[in-house]
Amino acid sequence: MSITKRTAEIFEILSKGQFISSNSSDERIRKLFGVVDDNFTELLRYFTEINFKLERGDEYFYFSRPESRADLERKVESAYKWIDILDFFKAHDNAFGPGYRFTPADILVKLNVDAMLKSKLAGLKRYTRDDKFDAAIQKLIELLCREGFAELENEVTNSYKVLASFSYLENLIMSIHIPEEIQNEIPE
Amino acid sequence: MFTFNSITELINTLAGAKELLAEMFEKRKSFAYKYDHAVEIIDEARLESLIELEVVRKNGSLLEMDDKFLQFFEQILEVNEEINTATVNENIRTLKQNINYYLQEGNANRKYAYLKAIKAVLRKIGLMTLRNIVDLNRNIENTFKTEPTYKIKISKLENYDQKRKDINALIKQTRQLLDGEELTFFKIAPDEEFGRIMTQLQLQLNEAHHNLIETQKQIIDFLNQIKYQSHLLEKIRQIKYLKDQFELKERTDFLAVMAHCKDVFFAPQRSGRMKLSLDLLHEDQVYPTLLKISRKRKTGVKQLRPLAENISAAYLETETTYEVFIDPEEVKNSFFASGDHLFHFLQHYQYPKEVTFVEIVTLYCQLISLYDDELVLSGTYGKHDDLEYAIVYPE
Repeated sequence: MSITKRTAEIFEILSKGQFISSNSSDERIRKLFGVVDDNFTELLRYFTEINFKLERGDEYFYFSRPESRADLERKVESAYKWIDILDFFKAHDNAFGPGYRFTPADILVKLNVDAMLKSKLAGLKRYTRDDKFDAAIQKLIELLCREGFAELENEVTNSYKVLASFSYLENLIMSIHIPEEIQNEIPE
Repeated sequence: MFTFNSITELINTLAGAKELLAEMFEKRKSFAYKYDHAVEIIDEARLESLIELEVVRKNGSLLEMDDKFLQFFEQILEVNEEINTATVNENIRTLKQNINYYLQEGNANRKYAYLKAIKAVLRKIGLMTLRNIVDLNRNIENTFKTEPTYKIKISKLENYDQKRKDINALIKQTRQLLDGEELTFFKIAPDEEFGRIMTQLQLQLNEAHHNLIETQKQIIDFLNQIKYQSHLLEKIRQIKYLKDQFELKERTDFLAVMAHCKDVFFAPQRSGRMKLSLDLLHEDQVYPTLLKISRKRKTGVKQLRPLAENISAAYLETETTYEVFIDPEEVKNSFFASGDHLFHFLQHYQYPKEVTFVEIVTLYCQLISLYDDELVLSGTYGKHDDLEYAIVYPE
């Protein structure tokens, strides 16, 4: 019993830990989003049988596992990486979020005037492995694209678009609870 | 200072200066209009008369359109950006006053004049309220989408919310006026046209009221979004700070959240764990690929087959074993030559080797079976130690 013709494609993408967003500029991904949206309950049941839980976010979908398989250390490491990356891009522009468009050139320009941004980029060196600004920025953007948080919208102008799945990272941050007293200790 | 003598004069003046007025009106927001620019558009004499009629005013080297005309244009063209709740208030006051005058006035003509004024005001209130609301909505949307500074965005939106409340209050007031107060007037007022205006005003106020509900929802939604965004930014900043201080694990529930999180995002499957299909490997089209891969995998290191040691000399020597063979042919020939009977002959024959009695008997039987046709078996039997044997002679 095949639910949709594209179940294999959907599985390919989601099982690698990536996302399907509704505001992708790639028509194929948009179609996949529509397919998942329409058949959500059946697909949920279908994938549960192979131990994958189909999760719905705000205009995006992803998988989770019913029992956790990865060890805590690895998850924590991964989370640290994404906190740093999220912090960098938000520092570049507060409005950085789903639907936001940018080019590597924008960030480069901002780097030259914003010292804090520069130090943040230096802090990300373990992931970018490059001292040169433009190569490092390119690596970071590629990291975003690889996981499905952003995509190259226009090859000619080198402009990228942030996808709806970016809210996943924002939600992750929001879900961490900092107790009151500790909040007050953090300097402004 | 001249004044206009008639409507015709006014319209003619304006028509004569239409290019200048159009230019000034279009640039009213961008920059102050210079006198010298104006001179290039219309000739000086006409410009001077405009200044005298107070259509435009000279201010040093700058020219300003008179406010009355500016407002006239804005209202007619419905491009009014400023929201003026004060004017609506004013209008309600005027309305009330005129109603009072109408009720007090005895003279029919003057009564009619007041009635006309009241109708005009009523018409104006409806239109103005609606236009205010449209402007308000547009401003709210613009502010939310374009204003860069968060704090200013929030305060502007809150101010617009206040305006919305003001408009709401005015609508309520007007309605009260129409329905509750001034019952006397609204019962007496005779005109059919008046009735029409009333109905239309009611409809407009209804529409305005509904629009304002939408506006309120919009403002609340925008404010929530902004508040969420700034809350998010703050949270990111705090978490980054704690992480850099290595306090994130200890002082927040970060570990609990991560332990609870079972998303595949943090634990991606490693692909490529699958084996090749053996059936596929048997296919023809795979063969060139296999060749290519094996060529790539040639490491250039030749594997040495270990050489064995020399074969020892002992194995090369031929060993011979000797065995004495009793040739039955030779024995037979000797037997034929002897003339003895077989058994006796065999007992006394000179064998090349030592033979036992059993071997003699075996040879006896062998010879008989081998040369059966050359031997004659006589019927008699000899005896030797419990063994009976046939006497055999050659032919």
